[in-house]
Amino acid sequence: MIDYRAAIQPDHVDGELYVDPEVFAEEMTRIFTRSWAFVGHESELAEPGDWVTWRIGREPVIFVRDRDGELHVLANRCSHRGTTLCWAARGHARSFVCTYHGWTFSLAGELKGVPYPGGFHRVKQELGLARPGQLGAYRGFVFANLSGDAPPLERHLGAGGKDLIDRLCDLSPSGRIQIRAGWIGHRIDANWKMLPESDNDGYHLRWVHASMVESAPDTYYEEAVLGAEQSNPSLAVDHGGGHVELDFRPSYTSDGAWLGMSADKAAPYRRALEAAHGPKRAKELLHAGPPHAMIFPNLFLGEMNLAIVEPVAPGASIHHHTAVQLEGVDESFNRRLLRQSEAALGPASFIVPDDAVTAERMQRAFAGAAALRSAGAGGARVDLSRGLEREVVDERSGRRAGHVTDETTNRGFWRRYREVMSQS
Amino acid sequence: MSGAGPPPAIDEATRREIEAFLFFEARLADESRYDEWETLVTDDVHYWVPAEPSDYDPATRLSYVNDNRSRLATRIRQLKTGLRHAQIPPSLMRRLISNVEIFPVEGRGDEYRVESNFVLYELARQATGDLRLWTGRTTHRLRRVDGRLRIAAKRIDLVNASGPIPNLTFLI
Repeated sequence: MIDYRAAIQPDHVDGELYVDPEVFAEEMTRIFTRSWAFVGHESELAEPGDWVTWRIGREPVIFVRDRDGELHVLANRCSHRGTTLCWAARGHARSFVCTYHGWTFSLAGELKGVPYPGGFHRVKQELGLARPGQLGAYRGFVFANLSGDAPPLERHLGAGGKDLIDRLCDLSPSGRIQIRAGWIGHRIDANWKMLPESDNDGYHLRWVHASMVESAPDTYYEEAVLGAEQSNPSLAVDHGGGHVELDFRPSYTSDGAWLGMSADKAAPYRRALEAAHGPKRAKELLHAGPPHAMIFPNLFLGEMNLAIVEPVAPGASIHHHTAVQLEGVDESFNRRLLRQSEAALGPASFIVPDDAVTAERMQRAFAGAAALRSAGAGGARVDLSRGLEREVVDERSGRRAGHVTDETTNRGFWRRYREVMSQS
Repeated sequence: MSGAGPPPAIDEATRREIEAFLFFEARLADESRYDEWETLVTDDVHYWVPAEPSDYDPATRLSYVNDNRSRLATRIRQLKTGLRHAQIPPSLMRRLISNVEIFPVEGRGDEYRVESNFVLYELARQATGDLRLWTGRTTHRLRRVDGRLRIAAKRIDLVNASGPIPNLTFLI
């Protein structure tokens, strides 16, 4: 049994945590079952009867909108003999019918019909589809806590987590984002924790993404993260609760720098924001842009993209992503966001494949970590000390901020991980 | 994808020329000969790998690859930097192409829609060392430009388009 308190120190982490099957099993219990995880966004289910399938940790679920418009997260498993009810990624239904013995469930998960009822002696109400102990939503982002014994969602997100979601949603003139561009799954043969670590690492851009920087040099990352160490004011922030951010706002020198499109092409969007919020607020929003942040443990707000990290096995993960679409803007603007998303994320994009291969190389490098630790030998660990000495802690909020290249974000992830994994 | 009926009869010389073109293109892609491959495309090329097994408008949804000429040029430029870690070293590949069906584009004597099946083995030697298997159907739009066939569009429908899929950073 791993001593998580010993394995995770403020300045380093034991590599065994990436490879050990027992650690993975424990994570599925503590992080993905007893804590909150992101499930989906309400806009994915436009109409009553729309459903998508997903996994919370390893637990398969159906995320569905019922006839009354209410959202549910249901176990994707017949309550009779356990057959998978929905095996596509998404669909539309009036009810869920099991293919094994024809048991029928309403969109809200109630058992409605049992063929040959003569031999059925149970109470139907007791055999509805299993559902999470707690379900919560914030601005359309739906989260579930399977076990039901986590503190309320409000506390899980905290002021920091809510602010990150607010900053994304506020970029829409209506205040609502839309998830309707389709999800892309990127299989990465590495531990799931390496994905949020890499998504929120402000130190690796110049190396891992050198080819992108060289071949598409007009990217706004030049300004946000690639400036010289002394002159770049961007921040690596730990908001607490494992919610971490690379805050590029201080480095943007113009309004809408993050859009990556000419002022001309962005003009209709600017006007829509001004009409909704007034010129002053619109200017602030355009300047700030979307967050680049992690909502612990599995949601990445990747600027105008959402990504979900799915753990599959100690050495296998899926990085799912989609593009954020804004309500109340011209369609050509939304289409540009799609094209930017295709350039940045996914297995054939210009950015994430290089992160993927880096994580896959790390995974292999830690193959011997468990044996080393068991033998009392060291050496297979991750050093996360960068910027520890220059991190600024806000006493009131507990927020920590460092230089954008500092490992403040990684330390923030692991601080929360340590807390969750070592709770009694 | 096609959903088309049987292809019309076509003269043997044209069929041979088109098949030879497909095999040549495949060899350049297999061997990561980016510059030579790039000379095969037209200025208005569309290079598309859908992220779903069904038809959809790539303008309105995400795809794995949805390149116009300029995006394709960036893709190739990135591969040629020598810094594209996902292709360092380049994947070793061989693909087999078969079931070639040729449909002349109506009203355009110089254009063909060519459908073919492929099986591609990729040695992903950058990290995992896995021998990965890719398979699907390719739809080329081939146009004769200055007497030579060129790729005006290439659509690759992976059998496992709905994913998840691993890194796809070579020319497919």
